[in-house]
Amino acid sequence: MAIITISRGSYSKGKEVAEKTAQRLGYRCLSRDVILEASGSYHIPEIKLVKAIHDAPSVLDRLSGGKRAYIAYYQSALARLVQKDNIVYHGLAGHLLLKGVPHVIKVRIIADLADRVRQEMQQEGVSEQDARSLILKDDEERRKWTLSLYGADPWDSALYDFVIHIQRFTVSNAIDFVCEAAGLEQFRTTRESQQKMDDLALAGQVKAALAMLSADVAVTSEYGNVLVFVGSDDRLARKLRDKIKTLIAGIEGINNIEVHSRTAVPPDAI
Amino acid sequence: MESTALNGEMILVMAMIGLAVFLFIVEWIRVDVVAILMMVTLPLLHLVTPREAFVGLSSNAVVSIIAVIIIGAGLDKTGLINKLVGPIVKLAGKSPSRIVVAISLAIAVISSFMQNIGAAALFLPAVQRISKALKISISKLLMPIGFSAILGGTLTLVGSSPLILLNDLLVPFKLEPFGLFDVTPVGLGLVVSGLLCFILFGRFILPQGSQEGDFNEDGNNAEARGLLPEVGETYELRTPDDFTHYRDPVRVEDLRRRYLVNIAAMTEPPDYKLFSPPLDAVIRSGVDLLVFGRHKDVQRMAEKEEMVLKQAVEVFKEDAAEHTSGTVEAVVGPRSPIEGKTLRQISLRDRFQVTPLAIYREGEIYRAEIGDLALRVGDAIVLHGPWKRLQLLHGEGSLLFTTPIDVEIMRPEKATFAALWLAVALVMILAFKIQLSVCLMAGALGMIITRVLSIDEAYRSVDWRTVFLLAGLIPLGIATEKTGTAAWIAHSVLAAIGTVKPIVLLTIIGVLTSAFTLVVSNVGATVLLVPLVVNMAVAAQADPRMAALVVGLAASNSFILPTHQVNAFYMGPGRYRSTDFLRAGGLISLVFVLVMIGMIYLVYGV
Repeated sequence: MAIITISRGSYSKGKEVAEKTAQRLGYRCLSRDVILEASGSYHIPEIKLVKAIHDAPSVLDRLSGGKRAYIAYYQSALARLVQKDNIVYHGLAGHLLLKGVPHVIKVRIIADLADRVRQEMQQEGVSEQDARSLILKDDEERRKWTLSLYGADPWDSALYDFVIHIQRFTVSNAIDFVCEAAGLEQFRTTRESQQKMDDLALAGQVKAALAMLSADVAVTSEYGNVLVFVGSDDRLARKLRDKIKTLIAGIEGINNIEVHSRTAVPPDAI
Repeated sequence: MESTALNGEMILVMAMIGLAVFLFIVEWIRVDVVAILMMVTLPLLHLVTPREAFVGLSSNAVVSIIAVIIIGAGLDKTGLINKLVGPIVKLAGKSPSRIVVAISLAIAVISSFMQNIGAAALFLPAVQRISKALKISISKLLMPIGFSAILGGTLTLVGSSPLILLNDLLVPFKLEPFGLFDVTPVGLGLVVSGLLCFILFGRFILPQGSQEGDFNEDGNNAEARGLLPEVGETYELRTPDDFTHYRDPVRVEDLRRRYLVNIAAMTEPPDYKLFSPPLDAVIRSGVDLLVFGRHKDVQRMAEKEEMVLKQAVEVFKEDAAEHTSGTVEAVVGPRSPIEGKTLRQISLRDRFQVTPLAIYREGEIYRAEIGDLALRVGDAIVLHGPWKRLQLLHGEGSLLFTTPIDVEIMRPEKATFAALWLAVALVMILAFKIQLSVCLMAGALGMIITRVLSIDEAYRSVDWRTVFLLAGLIPLGIATEKTGTAAWIAHSVLAAIGTVKPIVLLTIIGVLTSAFTLVVSNVGATVLLVPLVVNMAVAAQADPRMAALVVGLAASNSFILPTHQVNAFYMGPGRYRSTDFLRAGGLISLVFVLVMIGMIYLVYGV
């Protein structure tokens, strides 16, 4: 019926909302599974993947573009897992990695800093100052990560369909709201929206397959017609054209694939 | 000439040469702009006088080239060339090698008094037609023919820009100029040996036909209709009466993007037919669609969008008939105004109501989002539409058409005049020994006066890029000689290679020029190297005229990279990739140097 992504800072009860919502709706709840799936499909050690997903890119990463490859793997795994619908996902950047799919409901759970600090102090047994700085540091890491990879600030409410403040609203309230949203007409999966989801999954697979060669490409898929955009690196374009048949050999559902260079990249490309 | 010590001026000249070469290679600014840069900087640096800086524009070489271009355009307008191709093909029969030989010889002869690229453009439609009619893979035909066009430029002194330049460059050295047919023996040797290479080794150096089963995919009469199977065929579908009820509006562009199927026409009830509908037109219920696409894509569309795929074209039978509409391949020529633009920018679809189906570039076919691809020289665009509209597009002139569109012989009655004035020019050159540029201009003027082409058409046909490229590099050559830089470099090089026999020196010059021409264009190589090699030859006591001749000839030895205009132009229609040129071009380049030196040795006895 719908795909629900729940984005949250630490200690904001986001996980609880996610799990209980999934329970109530009878949806599957995903978080760590994506890492496992990506790690398995693309033969990357979990630890490396987790680090790539969690830490903001360092200078070296920026130079090597290696991080983007890991993101591509993660995105591909995520898209494939949510493709069958009726999912609640709580993890990094679901709202960004699943962009363009109409039946995704993007929720953000936030909480008071004071509350979060208190919880951290309880959990980890640290002083208030330490707790505060740890939480702020974590928030800052995530912000940097999202900014550098997507140019978006996770604290920007415009990225979400709705933002719930857990303090004024209880967890139970939050679950009610999300479940109601999931039943609304506009979030119902239609043939067209499912097609968009399938296209995203396909584009993700192609991008992950090409990530071995370079993650500096943008991929779109429309009804199985895949376009790979390369920018002005002619050598890369040539390499891709030569190798593309073998690279995409295992992927089903590609009706046509072309490599375009020096053309403007459409905004919905991944 | 005595060698002088290296001084400041020489260093400046060498710096300018270095700058020019660098800019040619990186292509940050266009080659003719680089030449104009030279034309302006050299006098500012006092390396040449202001008069010398612009002497290029009035040089015999430039005037001759302008005249040759105009004469070529005149011949083009009369369709004279197309008339010749028919008999040639009949003579050659059906064997691919004989056809290649026949057309190659023809294009070589024509290219000997026309710009190579002009000859190449003239022949392309005919070659495409032959390829389709006789079912010979186009890749087997175009490269030999293209190379022959380049080689044909060595047959006479007006055949190619470097040779036209030669006499002008010899003037400062007070060397005797060459006659029109002085190079012909060597040129003949080159053309023949080039052809022999393709005949004997064609199997190894030519790409073996771009797609297997060129004409067998898709069954249903693809052969008979002569269509390109990768691009598809015409089908007719009907949308059910409830088509718009359960879905968001589906537009023409949606179908194109989702299925790579193009809507050529659709009915608008009750009885209107809309051809080449705009991309944002909505597909309604209960309409008939005439589409163009691959069978499997059309089937997929019919299934997913719940349309009915008809067995045969019914409603649009007349419109889709072969005599009403069809598919053509149009190539972006070397001076096309649409180079660098996208199809969307030039509003091809809106202005001419023809449908672009695909673009062939460097051996790849592009079918998706082709409206956004920036067009390059050599791109072959497959278009579909009513012949009337395709002819209009053809008339507009920005694309060169290569397929069954009947290239109407536009001014047949002028053909006699065109041939006449060409003959007059030749007679003037040969019999009366008048200066080349004057004779050629006279021929061009004759064509204009007898209205083979109008003066405005003549102006439009002139390629200013070549004119300024030449005019701008000539002062650089002058500076090289005037400041003694050429002499200095010549002596340094000779000191490095030591004393060698003249024939070895000429070979080295030949190889050097062949390498140079790949990076700085043929005229650049000529202008820069002639002063140099003349100095070298004199110092080594070899014949300076021969050295210059070697440069003039070897400057056309540009086959390895598709940098030569002809090669770049033939890439799309021939479905070639750069690597294809490496193989064939490598062999031909090698043979070129050997044959050239060999012929010079035999004919001139160096």
